[in-house]
Amino acid sequence: MSAPRQSSPPPVLEAESVSKSYRLGASLVTAIQDVSLSVASGELIALKGPSGSGKTTLLNLMGLLDRPDRGVVRVGGVEAEGLDENARSDLRRDQFGFVFQGFNLIPVLSAAENVSYPMALKGVGRQERRRRAIELLESVGIGHKHAVRPDLLSGGERQRVAIARALANGPRVVFADEATANLDSHTADEVLGLVRRLNESQGVAFLLATHDPRVVARAHRVVHLHDGRILDQAP
Amino acid sequence: MNAFSLAYRNLARQRRRTLLIEAVVAFGFAALALATGFMIQSFDSLRAAMIQQIGHLQVMHPSAATNSEETTLEFGIPHAVRARALAATVPSVVAVLPRIEWVGLVTNGTRSVPYLGLGVDPGPEFAATRQRELVVEGSYLQGDGGDEIVMGTGLARALGVRTGDQLTLLASTVDGSLNAVDVRVRGLLAIPIKELNDRTLVGGITLVSQLLHSEGTVSKLVVFLRSERDLEAASAALAVRLAPIGPVAIVPWRTIAVFYSQVRLLYIAIFGFVNTVLVLMVVLSAAIVMTMAVAERTREVGTLRALGTRPARIRNTFLAEGVLIALAGSIAGLVLALAVRAALNASGIILPPPPGAAVGMPIHVGLYPSAYLFGLAVMVGTMLLASFFPARRAAHLSIVEALTHV
Repeated sequence: MSAPRQSSPPPVLEAESVSKSYRLGASLVTAIQDVSLSVASGELIALKGPSGSGKTTLLNLMGLLDRPDRGVVRVGGVEAEGLDENARSDLRRDQFGFVFQGFNLIPVLSAAENVSYPMALKGVGRQERRRRAIELLESVGIGHKHAVRPDLLSGGERQRVAIARALANGPRVVFADEATANLDSHTADEVLGLVRRLNESQGVAFLLATHDPRVVARAHRVVHLHDGRILDQAP
Repeated sequence: MNAFSLAYRNLARQRRRTLLIEAVVAFGFAALALATGFMIQSFDSLRAAMIQQIGHLQVMHPSAATNSEETTLEFGIPHAVRARALAATVPSVVAVLPRIEWVGLVTNGTRSVPYLGLGVDPGPEFAATRQRELVVEGSYLQGDGGDEIVMGTGLARALGVRTGDQLTLLASTVDGSLNAVDVRVRGLLAIPIKELNDRTLVGGITLVSQLLHSEGTVSKLVVFLRSERDLEAASAALAVRLAPIGPVAIVPWRTIAVFYSQVRLLYIAIFGFVNTVLVLMVVLSAAIVMTMAVAERTREVGTLRALGTRPARIRNTFLAEGVLIALAGSIAGLVLALAVRAALNASGIILPPPPGAAVGMPIHVGLYPSAYLFGLAVMVGTMLLASFFPARRAAHLSIVEALTHV
């Protein structure tokens, strides 16, 4: 486990006393209870814990994909709970990137178009989008596959495209939920190396929900969740 | 990468399903365009038939427009020759036909039958109206008509007469006395409306004036115009030109042809019902397809929303798919409609006679761009309607639920 790169950097993202429950049939299941977590610029945080411990729920709440029942999430000091869906969409587009376990690439778009998509949402011009998409794909090592559709890419290549897409709009935080779970060990190592390199070179904070000890080993900070609560946080 | 670009690619991805729904739209478009074209054609034919019968405008005594006559020519137009000449000076007027309408008895010496009389100026009447199409035996009146008449075949049958036979017409004159003239049957008319066929009798104005003692007075002047577009201007001009002869009402053909308006409403109701059923079929089929598309792409929608796509953009992408299906389907429908139209027009199928005509016509579906534009508008509207609710559902999916959708 390595040390954070900066001492006491200002939080770019903060969850304060957030709780979330889900209805499962007739019963109410508490996924997260009174959890507080702040993410500093350039941090690489691993959320670890057994299945059902609340890792994905915390990621969803902090990534503004869901709203907490209680507590607040602040993005750059702005409380997200009072914002409407459009404003939350714009925050996700401008401030966040997402990498999913199942890659979640848009099947009708080529690799470069997948990477371009968030830029198109932001209104970046076609030429600039294409130039930057290819640049990003090159930075993750698959620039030569820019015109290929996702179904013709390997798992590792798809995850690289997903990472390039997550970085498209220069986010402050990238959320990755079990990003290495569908990859073989060699490819997972490559992807993690890439994440670490991007984290160091671009100063992007990463919040990684994982079971994978290799991810934990590369994190600046490890947050251990159990039954919806933070058990401990270790740098 | 706008909504249409993404929509196009998604449609191309599901090629078989897209072709299926486009075929439904194409069928709907073709049926709608052909039915609308046939309806417009029917209206045009019916309108032309009506105008040939009753003219574009009728000049009559103001009371004649609202009241029935108690005595012969009670509400007639005096100085008809002058009025006719004045009316003919309006530039858009192509013919002015005087007509006298009265009732009386016609007898062959042994049987007497009531009749509806129509006094006409035979030459112009023959040239301008459809009466020539109705002659089935003998011929139409010649010159000023002399002492000859033509009559409905039903009336001739009731009297047991044929062309060349002698009859006597009896009627009340304008001053209320009874008068009679001897006439000869020149021709028989097959009038398609039975009630008129059993009663109608047509003679020249000269003969009728002699019978009714109505020298210079007619029931109405029937005015034919160059084009229906001239109707309002001609009506205003006639009012000015005819002012010297006294008060007259100038009545447009639509006011008189109540039958036309009723038939038109009936046609609109029938075609409206058929079109509504068609649209419902397309809406239901398209809604099923669009709902399937949303269900299949739920996870993808969740991803797009996570990446920062606003709900409205998600909705617009699905609506764009609906519009693209409508456009592609309508193009295919246009080709189909043109092919079916060509086949129908070449088939030689004879339709039953339209109201006011004696013989049926071969089917002919007109090429009306407005019908095709109407079809396109309905299909785009239909697809937007069919896509709207699935699109709205997609736009408001919970992101977390969408991302975990299997």
